[in-house]
Amino acid sequence: MKHQPFQPIDGLPDAPLAMPKQTLERAPAFGSIIRAFLLVWQRS
Amino acid sequence: MTNRLTTWQAGGLRFLTLGFAAAVSLTAGIAFLDLIGGNRPGFLDWVRTILLVLTGFWLVWGGTIGLLGALSPVTRRRQDLSRPEGKTTVLVPIYNEDPVETFSRIAAMNRQIVASGYAEFFHFAILSDTTSLEIAAEEASEFERLIVEPEASGRIFYRRRERNVGRKAGNIEDFIARSGAAYDYAIILDADSLMEADTMLAMVRRMDADPKLGLLQTVPVVIAARTLFGRMMAYSSAYFSRYFARGAALLQGEDGPYWGHNAIVRVRAFASCCGLPVLSGKPPYGGHILSHDYVEAALLARGGWKVEVDPELGGSFEQGPENLIEYAKRDRRWCQGNLQHRRLIAAPGLKFWSRFTFVQGIMAYIASPLWLTLMAASLIASLIPDNGGERWGATPWIIGGGVMATLLLPKFAIALRGAIDGNNAKFGGWRIAPAVLSEIVISTIIAPVLLGFQSRAVFQILFGMDGGWPATERDAKAVSPKTAFAASWWIVLTAFAALVFMAYAGPDFLPWLLPVAGPALLAPFVIWATARGGERPVSTWLFSVPSERAPSPIITEANAILTSWRASEPRMMSTLAEVAVHA
Repeated sequence: MKHQPFQPIDGLPDAPLAMPKQTLERAPAFGSIIRAFLLVWQRS
Repeated sequence: MTNRLTTWQAGGLRFLTLGFAAAVSLTAGIAFLDLIGGNRPGFLDWVRTILLVLTGFWLVWGGTIGLLGALSPVTRRRQDLSRPEGKTTVLVPIYNEDPVETFSRIAAMNRQIVASGYAEFFHFAILSDTTSLEIAAEEASEFERLIVEPEASGRIFYRRRERNVGRKAGNIEDFIARSGAAYDYAIILDADSLMEADTMLAMVRRMDADPKLGLLQTVPVVIAARTLFGRMMAYSSAYFSRYFARGAALLQGEDGPYWGHNAIVRVRAFASCCGLPVLSGKPPYGGHILSHDYVEAALLARGGWKVEVDPELGGSFEQGPENLIEYAKRDRRWCQGNLQHRRLIAAPGLKFWSRFTFVQGIMAYIASPLWLTLMAASLIASLIPDNGGERWGATPWIIGGGVMATLLLPKFAIALRGAIDGNNAKFGGWRIAPAVLSEIVISTIIAPVLLGFQSRAVFQILFGMDGGWPATERDAKAVSPKTAFAASWWIVLTAFAALVFMAYAGPDFLPWLLPVAGPALLAPFVIWATARGGERPVSTWLFSVPSERAPSPIITEANAILTSWRASEPRMMSTLAEVAVHA
């Protein structure tokens, strides 16, 4: 098992780890079609 | 050796148990329809039948899990005494709890870890989200006492956030963003959690041995209960929970649960999969995800990681609410959290069982207002003349007997299994008989009161009321009659109205309403009486649990440290100004 170098220090270790936000909400089924239609409508 | 099922076996078992629950509830529905409407059912008869089938399904489903647990073989693992490979941080998120109690438990766990000889592999991080400056000051001064514990320096950390963004999930996320890369695993505890060092080591070894294992959940046992309500819940947790968890573990397989604490996670898996978004819209359905644990388990499973629960891992403890009001407060939070999951059922990429778990959580709360609606519909039905349809002879006793059997069979099966596998001996042998019967009687009496609280919570949330996330006061014990009445007068009023209505509209059916309306009518008394024993534990003979009969070493150690800390002043009394420096 690989370990990152780590030295205990006063206070929490400075070893950041990214925690990307997950996608949980699904766009409404017809949302993209309606949006595309409105976009065309606005352009015209 | 393991009795973990393959994906196909688990799938087959899920199909069988779901099918069984559906078949039983549909059969009950047919019998009920015959009873109330014969071969000429009216609209209200159909409504009542559908409600009975819906609520009955989840009742049978829960009972089936208990039966499965009572019948399932025990997983015996070969004892692994290897040296841990991964570095672990024990995270203790706190939020306005009593610092002396929490920190003394951490001191006990640290002493055991140091005594095990593996201190270098375990750090502790107290992650405070405390909002009360007074409690924060106590935390700071108690930390001074903790930091002089054996090998504590450089291994035990404390930090406090000024703004508790994202609540507990945000608190842990903040830690990972700052220090996560320093650790392989994180054992996540609650402020009231306690865990044997041997259990922590066993969990780390399991993670070391299985690189695909993303999360391993223990089944914590409730300890240190003092009131009648608390002790009954503790007994139930100690005696029944392990078997129910065994049944659930068989069905869940590698898509298991996470209950938010007393579990170990693989930090990199957790970081890559469990960054929770803020849901669109306003609370109660939008905003931060409240019951984050179920969602994190689902996200880990989505990411291809195994999420398992191991009911055989002992040495894992927690505390529970000591009275019905505190229980209802916690339930209100969980209710909102679970109902919020309706937004996530269709989340992309989730496994079927994760989606089902969300539905199950929602139904656990929706069932109460559905039962209430069934009763209300039955009251109204008593005003409507019978259609005179022909009946084949179903009686109310068949339906009532079926419900009783569903509720009681798993408990009796567990008692029988306990007599065979030696579990009953840990609870005093024959003394399980009065204890289990008392648990059944008391839980039957409090059920209508809980039905009232839970139904109100669901209706509040459906009407868009955000209950927030208040901390459970686990120390809150005795309840005065005045407080009990203030919390439950509306349950009394509702029960009284229902009884008067039934006495007028259908006196023949009055006896069938009494088991529910009777305890509800006495709700303040039930709350007050079950909260008795705060100063000195009650019913210690009746609800005798292994954690008191033969206390685990960690419980003895934690109690000894707490007593000595309570008897002496902290090393340094911090002022509010010092808190600001720590924050």
